Amino acid sequence: MKSNGSAPLLALRGINKALGGRRVLTDVDLAVAPGELVVLLGPNGAGKTTLLGTACGRIAPDSGEARLAGGDPRRDVRVRSSLGFVPQEIALYPYLSVRENLEVFGRMMGVAKAELAARIDEALSWSGLGDRTDDRVDTLSGGMQRRLNIVASLLHQPGILMLDEPTVGVDVSARERIHELLRRLRAEGLGILLTTHDLMQATTLADRVVFLVAGEVRIQGEPQQLISEVFADTKEINIALTAVPDQQQRTQLLDAGLTPIQGGQSWTGGVSAGYDGVADWHHRLEADGLEAAEIRVREPTLEGVFLRLTGEELKL
Amino acid sequence: MSGAILRAMLLGLLRDRGALLMSFFLPGVFFVIMAEIFTATSGDSLNLSVASVDEVESEVTLRLFEALEGSDMLTLLPERYADRDAVRAAVKAGEADIGLVIRADAEPLEAAGGFGAAPILVILDPARGFAEPMLTGQIRRAYFAALPDVAMGNVVAELENQFLTLNDEQREEVDVGLLEMRADAEAGRETGWSFEDLLARESVIGGEAVNLVAYSAGAVAFMFLLFASVHGAVSLLEEQESGILDRVLAGPGGMGVLVDGKFLYVIGQGFVQVTVIFTVAWLVYDVDLPGHLGPWIVISLAASVACAGLAMLLATACQTRRQAQTVANTVILVLSALGGSMVPRFLMPDVLQNLGWLTPNTWALEAYSGIFWRDDGLLAVAVPVALLAAIGILSWLLARGLAHRKAYGD
Repeated sequence: MKSNGSAPLLALRGINKALGGRRVLTDVDLAVAPGELVVLLGPNGAGKTTLLGTACGRIAPDSGEARLAGGDPRRDVRVRSSLGFVPQEIALYPYLSVRENLEVFGRMMGVAKAELAARIDEALSWSGLGDRTDDRVDTLSGGMQRRLNIVASLLHQPGILMLDEPTVGVDVSARERIHELLRRLRAEGLGILLTTHDLMQATTLADRVVFLVAGEVRIQGEPQQLISEVFADTKEINIALTAVPDQQQRTQLLDAGLTPIQGGQSWTGGVSAGYDGVADWHHRLEADGLEAAEIRVREPTLEGVFLRLTGEELKL
Repeated sequence: MSGAILRAMLLGLLRDRGALLMSFFLPGVFFVIMAEIFTATSGDSLNLSVASVDEVESEVTLRLFEALEGSDMLTLLPERYADRDAVRAAVKAGEADIGLVIRADAEPLEAAGGFGAAPILVILDPARGFAEPMLTGQIRRAYFAALPDVAMGNVVAELENQFLTLNDEQREEVDVGLLEMRADAEAGRETGWSFEDLLARESVIGGEAVNLVAYSAGAVAFMFLLFASVHGAVSLLEEQESGILDRVLAGPGGMGVLVDGKFLYVIGQGFVQVTVIFTVAWLVYDVDLPGHLGPWIVISLAASVACAGLAMLLATACQTRRQAQTVANTVILVLSALGGSMVPRFLMPDVLQNLGWLTPNTWALEAYSGIFWRDDGLLAVAVPVALLAAIGILSWLLARGLAHRKAYGD
């Protein structure tokens, strides 16, 4: 897979877009560099699909600028050859074999006939489907179909790969194989932008996560760095109460550094005593006249980061 | 519980405009078209156009023409045809449904006994098979209604010719003769004077037998060409639903790659389909496909292009496969009914025949009829062929524009 130096492969600046009178994207800035894996996180309706469409050149922004491989993807068709797009659906012909699918998509993406066989062999090797080349796609497992779905967009050797929910509906081992594939592609210098609802996936895979909420980029950064900044050396604690606290109890919880979730029946925050903090919190709640249904302490997550920074629950 | 299902089904139908159209509107429209056609077929409003020439122009022949003009089932075209060749040409060109010539070089109408050439020549186009019995029926009616003296004269002449004065001996002979005539009639043999002696028939195709299957081959082929083309084209919507479209649109080829590729595929598929139907017609029903191969290829290609273009336009104009299939069923059934794919246009009332010219089916059938029945060369069917090709290419270009707009929003 080819690399394109360190200049951003994708650069979105000040993108605004309204659809049907509703604001979908507001002043969005986003860049993806070669060898960088960026994860776009956001709830349904956050504008992720519109953002991907703008990056691909399919949607014209109302204002702002989208640059792909240095060109305008809407005006300059050639720059789109540097893009591989992997849809959320299994965008393959189910009645064709693995190889036939790759032949069709390779030709559609402009791969020369002379080079196609070698590219297909490479794609088969990447996807680990070398022993299923002549099998119809509809006979493959969900995980295999997902891997093929990805490599079908790599045959023309794009510089940047955009994936919309690439692991939806697959089991843990299949998801790990897809993660492995994406890491290898990143190591080859490919810029990758993927959307997901899976915070664990974002944490383990991403060089950078971008939280998109209601069309706005709310937070972005390297996952571990964001977690360290927010939680320092504390653990994340989540407390579910048996009842919603009154105003005085609420003030006490806020003063203790907790943030309310779900209307205040659950609270989250950092706990410096680590797992030992559970007992401390139990006593503290009792002293405040509150009863805990559950107290859970865990390693800090991106969900906790979002909550702490925005005061909003991330509903993925 | 069943009531809940009933309600869900009812709401589903009411909120699905396509299903509503198919369930309630289309059957009504289709019924009106078919009812009009079959009402016309029963004779209520069918009107033959007749090219005619009276080579005799005697008092008798003029009376016959006058009586024919009074018929509401046919129209004697006002053009004055110079001779029977002109009539022949008009029928062959489709300007008239059928031709009528009162021949000078035959027995006179008022004294025809079947001993010479028949005075009335009917020039027919086998493509309009119903015209001949209709015209001869009208001539027979006019003959007996307007010329009873002539008819009786012929009977008397026949009587004199066969029986002369009736004495006892002759009466016995008459009885024997009548019995023989009856026996002949029962055996299907011609007997004595009959109205048929007045008539001669000639086909514009010459002596060659016309294969009526050629019409149904073209009619069926074009209707299924439309269905199959739509089936091929709506795969574009399947690809939209499966995400393949998103993958391809992000690439360098864009929408044009998909639309063009499918257009070519649907043309090829259509041509093979037409080939299969006409090959069966050739092998099983002796339609002379090898004898008209060149023009047939051109017509079939043009028909395939027309259907492919229209199907692509439909697929790009619709939002979902279900919508496209609903609209397609509606449009194809109406086009096929109006265009002569179900019932020959000739049998339709004038209004529907004229509407038929708006359908590609009509043009395709005109072209196929031209080569198989009238032995037309390619030049003679150039207009329908060019129209079919133009319909296809224009629709394809529109489909490209629509698809681009749908994909990229401009």
